[in-house]
Amino acid sequence: MKRLVVLIFAVLFIVSCAQKEVVVPDQPPPPTRDTARDKDTAPKDTSKDGRDTTSVDKESIKDRGLTEEEIRAAMQNVFKNVNFAYNRYDILDESKPVLRKISDWMLAHKSVSILIEGHCDERGTSEYNLALGDQRAQATKSFLVSSGVPAARMETVTFGKEKPLCPEHNETCWSKNRRAAFVISR
Amino acid sequence: MKKIKISLFNISQLILLLLLCAAGVAEGRVYIDVTSPGGRKLPIAIQDFTGIAEGPGVSDIITSDLQFTNLFSFVGKNAFLETSDMPFNPDNWRPLGVDAVVKGVFEGTSDSSLNVTVSVYDVVEGRNILKKNYSTKKDLLRPLAHKIADDLYEAITGQKGIFSTRITFVGYDNADARSIYLMDFDGQRMKKIVKKSSLIARPRWSPDGKRLAYSSLKKGKWVISILNFDTASETEVFSSKATDLVGDFTPDGKGLLLSSSSKGSPDIYMLQLNSKVLTPLTYADTIEVSPASSPDGRQIVYVSNRSGTPQLYIMNSDGSDSRRLTFEGNYNTAPEWSPAGDLIVFCMTTGGRFQIATIKPDGTNLTVLTSAGNNEDPSFSPDGRYVVFTSDRDGVKGVYAMSVTGEEQRRISPKNTRALGPSWSHN
Repeated sequence: MKRLVVLIFAVLFIVSCAQKEVVVPDQPPPPTRDTARDKDTAPKDTSKDGRDTTSVDKESIKDRGLTEEEIRAAMQNVFKNVNFAYNRYDILDESKPVLRKISDWMLAHKSVSILIEGHCDERGTSEYNLALGDQRAQATKSFLVSSGVPAARMETVTFGKEKPLCPEHNETCWSKNRRAAFVISR
Repeated sequence: MKKIKISLFNISQLILLLLLCAAGVAEGRVYIDVTSPGGRKLPIAIQDFTGIAEGPGVSDIITSDLQFTNLFSFVGKNAFLETSDMPFNPDNWRPLGVDAVVKGVFEGTSDSSLNVTVSVYDVVEGRNILKKNYSTKKDLLRPLAHKIADDLYEAITGQKGIFSTRITFVGYDNADARSIYLMDFDGQRMKKIVKKSSLIARPRWSPDGKRLAYSSLKKGKWVISILNFDTASETEVFSSKATDLVGDFTPDGKGLLLSSSSKGSPDIYMLQLNSKVLTPLTYADTIEVSPASSPDGRQIVYVSNRSGTPQLYIMNSDGSDSRRLTFEGNYNTAPEWSPAGDLIVFCMTTGGRFQIATIKPDGTNLTVLTSAGNNEDPSFSPDGRYVVFTSDRDGVKGVYAMSVTGEEQRRISPKNTRALGPSWSHN
């Protein structure tokens, strides 16, 4: 028995004194499920000129009886981007006629719902810009609600500064990138 | 350390040796005071490790780790009078002005079972200050080297090293796909851990380093998820269908500070992860985002634009007693508290560009740390000595690191990877 105690102490001693350590793999986290199928509600920009980013889900629109021609006309004439001042999300006076046209169209096409995307220019931090984009989309939605469009037919999402329309680092591009854009969702 | 024939010992001998051993381990001399800025660098010689072909590669990683700290000066191998296999003799090192010598000898031939004994010598006093034996596998030599560097650093400075810590960031796979990546603190061993979402916001580590919380767009909605490394699982923990963004874990790891615009404007909330109880902490109709907990859990620093521009505020962890922290400039965002609680690092505008700055929690000592390009998303190393951040100074956005005083700024993410939103693990 005494011998066993000695042995245990001896083992403890060697462990503590030699400080032998085993370096184990640092738990490389295995890749999780591929979320590629979680696709955006926003399809890619339909134009390259940076003026009109309105996109449509053509299959679902057909079901509701809107023709291709009607969609194209709405995209070109009605759902134009609404722009904002730097770091602000109040609706500019110059945007109000655009938004009134959108609300008129929405009231005339009662089966259609839209997604309002809030975007920012590249300046500032990612996280604050996500909040700013959220408020731009919400301000746009609020304006349309006050014009009579039911809130239930409009959803909002923010993309912050992550999806610029215009790639250059100057005010001309920045002013285009600070925007609310519209997607006809169903 | 040589194997000891344990059967030869009796209890009294053992106790004596235990005491000696304890004395050796508890040696408390600090060779570099890391808290004194501009102090003398410790001249050190790291000899090529011997015994396996990869030995010099291991000692090179240790050298590179110590170089990162800017606390050491290195004597070139060409000047060494003592080869790696010779026993330590202080007289071989004094002429070179070296204060510390590191030797390492590998034993074992199998790739799956290697032993290395590392010795650190104090040249001035001519004695061994660290002797430690490690066992590992050949494919884990890099983490082994970091572990050795951590022990070496602690033996010399009395502080914990950061060489085994990791940094997570968001990388661009292409214009429409992002992934969460993980890399060692030095940018090596980068790997993708969460694949492809169209948008992922900056992840945050749990205090124990076993979980990552992050916000991403899933099916067009912002969702907060937690990735658990132990169980290799991902769990969605919160989605209000509005903009929900991770802020920070609480220091006990049980709660998550977040912002949500579910009531029309982004506000700060505390989510208890077990009970799922959600407690609002702010109620303004302005933007309130990016909450970060103080290390003692008593206070929260966050961003609000209630003054008209985004500024930092500090409130108690129950949402009471909010006070404005920053008054300089019209853009102060992305705050994070230092591990010791003495500083807050954040992003501010100066001269039309975005820079990393620190400020004390009482609002004094505003110090701008960067000047090149635009910089954002600062995050402290666990020892509070370094800050990792995003910069576009070289054109493409990358992850950079610097000392907390702004020195030694360098890119650590690979050059061809568009990388942003870094967060440094807490251990």
